[in-house]
Amino acid sequence: MSAATQATPASAPRWPWLAAFMAEERVAWIFVAKTVLAMYITCWLAMLFQLEQPATAMITVSIVMHPQSGMVLAKSFYRALGTLAGSLFGLTLMSLFPQQRELFLLSLSLWVALCAGGATLYRNFAAYGFVLAGYTAAIVTLPAVSNPLAVFDSAVMRVSEVLLGIIVSGVVSDVVLPERLRLLLRRSAREYFAHFIDFARGSTGGSIPRREMEQAHMRFVRAAVQLEDLRASVIFEDPEARARSSRMRLLNQRYMAASTSFQSVHHLINRLQRSDHDKVAAALIALYAPIGEALSPEPAMQQDPASLAPRLLACEEVLPPLAANLRANLPQATWLEFDTGANLLRRFASEMRDFTSLEASLRAGNLSGSVETVHFRRGNDYLGAGVSVLRTFLTMSALSVFWLMSGWPFGSSAMLLATIFSGLFGASAHPMTGIVNTLIGYVAGMVAGYVVTFWLLPGGDGFTMLIIATLPFLLIGPYLTTRNALPGVGAGYTLGYVYILALKNPMVYDPTHFLNDAIAQVVGLGLTAVAFVFVPAVTGSGWQRRRQLVQLRRQVVQAATAPLEGLLYRFESVNRDIFQQVVAYTRQDSDESRSLLAWALSVHECGRAVIELRRDMAHVNFPAAVGTVVSGAVQAIARLYQQPGAEAWRQADAAVDRAIAVTSQHLEHARGSCQSALAHLHLLRSALRDDESAMAPYIQSSAEPNHAS
Amino acid sequence: MPREIALADALVPGLLLVFGACLLLLWLVDTLVGRFGLYRFVWHPPLFRLALFVCMFGAAGLWLFH
Repeated sequence: MSAATQATPASAPRWPWLAAFMAEERVAWIFVAKTVLAMYITCWLAMLFQLEQPATAMITVSIVMHPQSGMVLAKSFYRALGTLAGSLFGLTLMSLFPQQRELFLLSLSLWVALCAGGATLYRNFAAYGFVLAGYTAAIVTLPAVSNPLAVFDSAVMRVSEVLLGIIVSGVVSDVVLPERLRLLLRRSAREYFAHFIDFARGSTGGSIPRREMEQAHMRFVRAAVQLEDLRASVIFEDPEARARSSRMRLLNQRYMAASTSFQSVHHLINRLQRSDHDKVAAALIALYAPIGEALSPEPAMQQDPASLAPRLLACEEVLPPLAANLRANLPQATWLEFDTGANLLRRFASEMRDFTSLEASLRAGNLSGSVETVHFRRGNDYLGAGVSVLRTFLTMSALSVFWLMSGWPFGSSAMLLATIFSGLFGASAHPMTGIVNTLIGYVAGMVAGYVVTFWLLPGGDGFTMLIIATLPFLLIGPYLTTRNALPGVGAGYTLGYVYILALKNPMVYDPTHFLNDAIAQVVGLGLTAVAFVFVPAVTGSGWQRRRQLVQLRRQVVQAATAPLEGLLYRFESVNRDIFQQVVAYTRQDSDESRSLLAWALSVHECGRAVIELRRDMAHVNFPAAVGTVVSGAVQAIARLYQQPGAEAWRQADAAVDRAIAVTSQHLEHARGSCQSALAHLHLLRSALRDDESAMAPYIQSSAEPNHAS
Repeated sequence: MPREIALADALVPGLLLVFGACLLLLWLVDTLVGRFGLYRFVWHPPLFRLALFVCMFGAAGLWLFH
């Protein structure tokens, strides 16, 4: 018995948790080693080049370093742009107001505030570039504020220090044991592709429960936004990815278009089944079968786009004759419904073919010829950005006034810290936790800095001794940033430690200056926290979520009114971006989350149908008489989404009904152009009357579906 | 080539301009090489790019300022 129990663990590794722990620690320590290496190289070079403050260059390294090299390069690129813009503005400002400190500080506060606001409008590291533009203007001008003639030298020094830090951290993270972001992008792109294909194949039964559909929608949206985010960073890391960039964008747009059509098809089939049109639903499911079949080659090839694309192409040929066959077996009264579904299925099949063939050519590395240029547009909340501008402006001007009134010699340090942190936390969802964590780390870093500066450093001589004295405490910071338990503490620690250490050649032994500077920095950081109490963060707050929901609904208004050129891509990407922003801060399974999902699906379906309808109307042969009625219907739907209500719903429903009636009258002599418009109108009507969608509260009980075809 | 160049009345080291031009050149080479996927034949692409840049910058600097 005892022999058996002893034999089993011997075959497995003795402590499996230890292996996992070691693997995790290994990644963390590689990052720590790279950060520390980059910092000391920077410090050494800065001293070699006789730059004024090697500490600024080291701080740059500590801010820019990230475990993945693509992130570092992306961050560095935007940081360089931000630094150049900020120092140019700082110089201009100083030359405009060398004597008027009130005007100078007012304009500086305004500039920093505008930059902080701009940062909230961008995802990725472009946001960071804005923060930096504000912050660099401050670090260039504030130290030279009492000696305006020195501002040019100060600007040159700061820019050189920052650029040195950027170059060293970029080279170190790219060359020494790089962690490739490209691999992550490839892995997630394949995962999302496989999920989508599997989902489309698995739903050949036709009907998908609404709940499952909502889950799938969330996943599709997350996939689209995440792939775009990754792409935007990977292009800095890998020249090959840059050559594929425009194709990856197009692929993402095709993915979005195909997933929208897919959802429309299934909503339509679900509705038909609910409203006792089982025969039509069954016919549509039969028509879906060839697509499902095309998506299921032998198991090994099921997620291989190169084998899927030709099968889908062949499937497109099969669809029209099969549709004609199925249609002939249905009663004439249901033809309109069937045509709507068949039209959607054809669209879905051709979008799937485009999507898989592009994916296949990307995987094969076939990059000949040029492709259509598309952009992933983002949905922004300008009022939210305005709040951020206001908060930063208040912080900065309060500090400026205090500085001017009190003549505090270390006021500029406090202002600097406030500038950095109000920018960095402006777009964060939980700034208070972030600032408190950072403050704790910052103070701990300063205590460590005190010990090192006044106990360890005076004993040594030379650069080696400097490394030996500062290294043990420096290691703590980057290591803490790799732990997720305390976000912000690690970054705060590194920043506080390096900043207060103020390594330079030769070092200065001045405890009074050290303490005064430390107090000023903590005051600056604390004041940023106070500002967030007075003007709370908007990102993710209920107020902003409600605004974003309205913005999401307005997307249909955009779809109905904006110029058609490039509208479809803009619609698809902005929709997903807004949805992703809201859903990140919504509790799952709450009433809010359900209502958000319902609206998102409804906006998706109606907006897309409206765009397709407008494309039909742009057709040359479209009869003018029908055109006016159909535009009336489009306008009525736009009004409904602008201001949802029972009355608006009734008007929209009536307008669409009228448009269907008029279009079917003209069907005889303009079949080519009216046929598909009729199908889209019908899709709109059925979406409006869907009693499980967001329209449910507005639907009047009297509105019985009467088929006016 | 002069050691220092006046850009908008500020003296800038000539090497800085050479550095910028070399970055641009590297970007062009990257575009071409990435287009045909040639970096796959290299063991450590970032190291190769860095070495390539050092060669270009060194050669241009020596040639222009020697």
